[in-house]
Amino acid sequence: MLFADTVVAEPAVHKPKIMAIMLLVGMIVFSFFGLNDTIFGEFMRPVIGEPTESGLFGNMAIGLVLSMLFTANIVLIGFLPFRYQVLLVWAELLLLFLSFFYSFGLNFEFIRSKIWFMISQGVFTTLYISAVSITLASMVAIVGAVAKLSTNGFAFAIASFYTSFFRGLPLLMQVYLIYLGLPQLGYVIDAVPAGILALTLCYGAYMTEIFRAGIQSINKGQWEASRSMGFGFALTMRRIILPQAMPLIIPPTGNQFIAMLKDSSLVSVIGVWELMFLARTLGNKDFRHMEMLITAAIIYWCLSMCLEVIQSRIERHYRTISH
Amino acid sequence: MKLNRRIFTIATGAALALSASMSFAGEALDRVMAAGTLKVATDANWAPQSFLNDDNKMDGFDVDVAKEVAKRLGVEVEFVTPSWDIITAGNWNGRWDLSVGSMTPTKTRAEVLSFPGVYYYTPASVAVHKDSPFKVIADLNGKKIGASTATTFELYMQHDLTIDAEGVPSFEYQLTAGELKSYKDSTAAMDDLRLGDGVRINGMVGSLPAIMAGIESNYPLRVLGDPVFYEPLALAIDRGDVEFNDKLAGFLADMKADGTLSALSVKWYGIDYSSTEGGATN
Amino acid sequence: MPDPIIQMTNVNKWYGDFHALKDINFIVNEGDKIVVCGPSGSGKSTMIRTLNWLEAHQEGTIVVNGIEMHQKMKNVDEVRMDVGMVFQHFNLFPHMSVLENLMAGPMWVRGIKEDEARKTAMKFLERVRIPEQADKYPGQLSGGQQQRVAIARSLCMNPKVMLFDEPTSALDPEMVSEVLDTMIELAHDGMTMVCVTHEMGFAKAVADRVVFMDEGAIVEENDPISFFENPQHERSKNFLGQILQH
Repeated sequence: MLFADTVVAEPAVHKPKIMAIMLLVGMIVFSFFGLNDTIFGEFMRPVIGEPTESGLFGNMAIGLVLSMLFTANIVLIGFLPFRYQVLLVWAELLLLFLSFFYSFGLNFEFIRSKIWFMISQGVFTTLYISAVSITLASMVAIVGAVAKLSTNGFAFAIASFYTSFFRGLPLLMQVYLIYLGLPQLGYVIDAVPAGILALTLCYGAYMTEIFRAGIQSINKGQWEASRSMGFGFALTMRRIILPQAMPLIIPPTGNQFIAMLKDSSLVSVIGVWELMFLARTLGNKDFRHMEMLITAAIIYWCLSMCLEVIQSRIERHYRTISH
Repeated sequence: MKLNRRIFTIATGAALALSASMSFAGEALDRVMAAGTLKVATDANWAPQSFLNDDNKMDGFDVDVAKEVAKRLGVEVEFVTPSWDIITAGNWNGRWDLSVGSMTPTKTRAEVLSFPGVYYYTPASVAVHKDSPFKVIADLNGKKIGASTATTFELYMQHDLTIDAEGVPSFEYQLTAGELKSYKDSTAAMDDLRLGDGVRINGMVGSLPAIMAGIESNYPLRVLGDPVFYEPLALAIDRGDVEFNDKLAGFLADMKADGTLSALSVKWYGIDYSSTEGGATN
Repeated sequence: MPDPIIQMTNVNKWYGDFHALKDINFIVNEGDKIVVCGPSGSGKSTMIRTLNWLEAHQEGTIVVNGIEMHQKMKNVDEVRMDVGMVFQHFNLFPHMSVLENLMAGPMWVRGIKEDEARKTAMKFLERVRIPEQADKYPGQLSGGQQQRVAIARSLCMNPKVMLFDEPTSALDPEMVSEVLDTMIELAHDGMTMVCVTHEMGFAKAVADRVVFMDEGAIVEENDPISFFENPQHERSKNFLGQILQH
């Protein structure tokens, strides 16, 4: 959390002027939507009469009521303690989202018939490719970071060329280059290994910088103490430096993993049946793209949230052992 | 998707520059027979030619044709689904043996692929939103037109289409787009067109069967005029294996002669597209 | 007379153009307790850090425990294992408990079994009088306690000589004496020690010799009584005048 002042100001939303402005702006915006012929019109029937004939008056009446609800909601939330504010706002946004999806008139039967395949084939492949790639990328990143910090010009040149090249090319292009280019050199690579290789090299390049920064942030004294006890380079790195760098490395690495989870969809171009591929394909015959895209979107979101939770657990673990 | 294609072009260019392409003379057939499996590349996103059915298995007209070819070879069939531009780029390096993907045998493609034969013809038609004012194809001149990328439909709109297979009626360019929008596949173009006339595009060029399938699934579209050209659609293999090529050509001739192809076409389209008479009934 | 543990002969060192050590000749025999002092920037830390080669010298020879230090040496770790070093800022490993800090060296580089390493570690923790902190992490200890742990960590390696690089200058005043007491005990037990420090009380109590450095050179080397009561050089006099005012 940011550094909070000890002086507590009254929340802006509790100032009468601000409330009035919110109410007015809300009313104009909601009226502008023209909600007469929606479910809100039906609710307001006792006041505005036949919704479809109520015209501007109906629109404005609905706008006023919605705006009052909206303003009251915000003012009330302003009174709650932090924790409940978070919970309530999350719940409301989620509800809004769900009703937005619901309004598409989705065919839930279709989703139910496909979801198991999406998970068993799509989620499995996506997770498998991402997990293998992030593991390999971490190894590449350690080597790359050490090489980048090295005084050996050869190692530094290779590592900096590597990070520059693979950070400089679009990931999609790397996927194509590896899938189509390697066979020209005599090695025919399958789609999944090609995808993993591309993700590993690309994310390895980004993570090299993360690891480098993490390693560099460790006080020189740690190296000196370790060296003065006769620990070699590898031992110092493995047992002294990296464990201390981990709390700094893990948050950005977690971000990379979440990003990779989504970027792994790029390997669908070479015919890997991961989540994104299935999202585009399963709805094709019956023209039910929205169903599959929304399902896949929710699955991606859930996966990301799980990863966020795991990431914060690991972070907490490292925070507790170092203090 | 434009970016996608440009990246692809650069990538292939670079890949080709790396070394001279390799030849696989006589190898493909040996490989198929040795493995006992025919690996077929096709699209999983192109109903009713090829798609994932309710059991999440590959199904469709192209898929049935591929199964029939495998049956006549006496081997199992296996499907892989690389993106279309990778299939048409050739140099498969033995990753798969055959493309049954409704591919038009153009001259440029013939530089990297061999075409054992045409197995059906699709009328290419123009579709517009059902509420649009357009009456004839010429009304669309100067409008925004969509077509899927790296297809004959796009080449047609670019006035750069050469069809040099036998038995195809000649055609003329009846339409000049004000702006040509490329799509990943024809469904994506239809999804944009359904939003309304001119919201994203005014019309699209695509295969008549695909458009009809969309209309049947309540896409608010209608077909404008007669087909603009007939697209011959062929099996494709990597260059270099004449034996394999001849064997597949023989199977195709048999399948035409014994009515297998007509029957499959009627099964999937309700119309016999295995000759150029098909589109006229629409 | 046996060979000295440390022998520096005509050692010169430069940082770029800066001449950091000038013709240093310096001998430490077994059992010697030597205090190195001098104004800041005089090269005393640099000198002590060349002794286990945390810093490289460019000219002259440094022989430690019979092994000559030079750029191409393969066995620098053998030297370092036998030379304990205590730093101004302790440099304990913050992610390991006190006990783990003490056991790491013996187990990882001496190849000693865990049980035995633990026994040794506890023995030295008792010697520096903080056995009850064994399971805490360095961040939970006071500065004085951390420095005593650091001393114990070096002792666990069973070194032949201990180097102290300003061990009390980062401590709060009330913690200085607990660390100095530990060091005095260590001296009385016969440990060979080289200490860079301004603690003149410590020097008077235990030092066999005091080495005064200024501008990268050894200006004066003498027994403590002579040095403090009758410094030979102008610079030594100035220096003593400044630090003894407090």
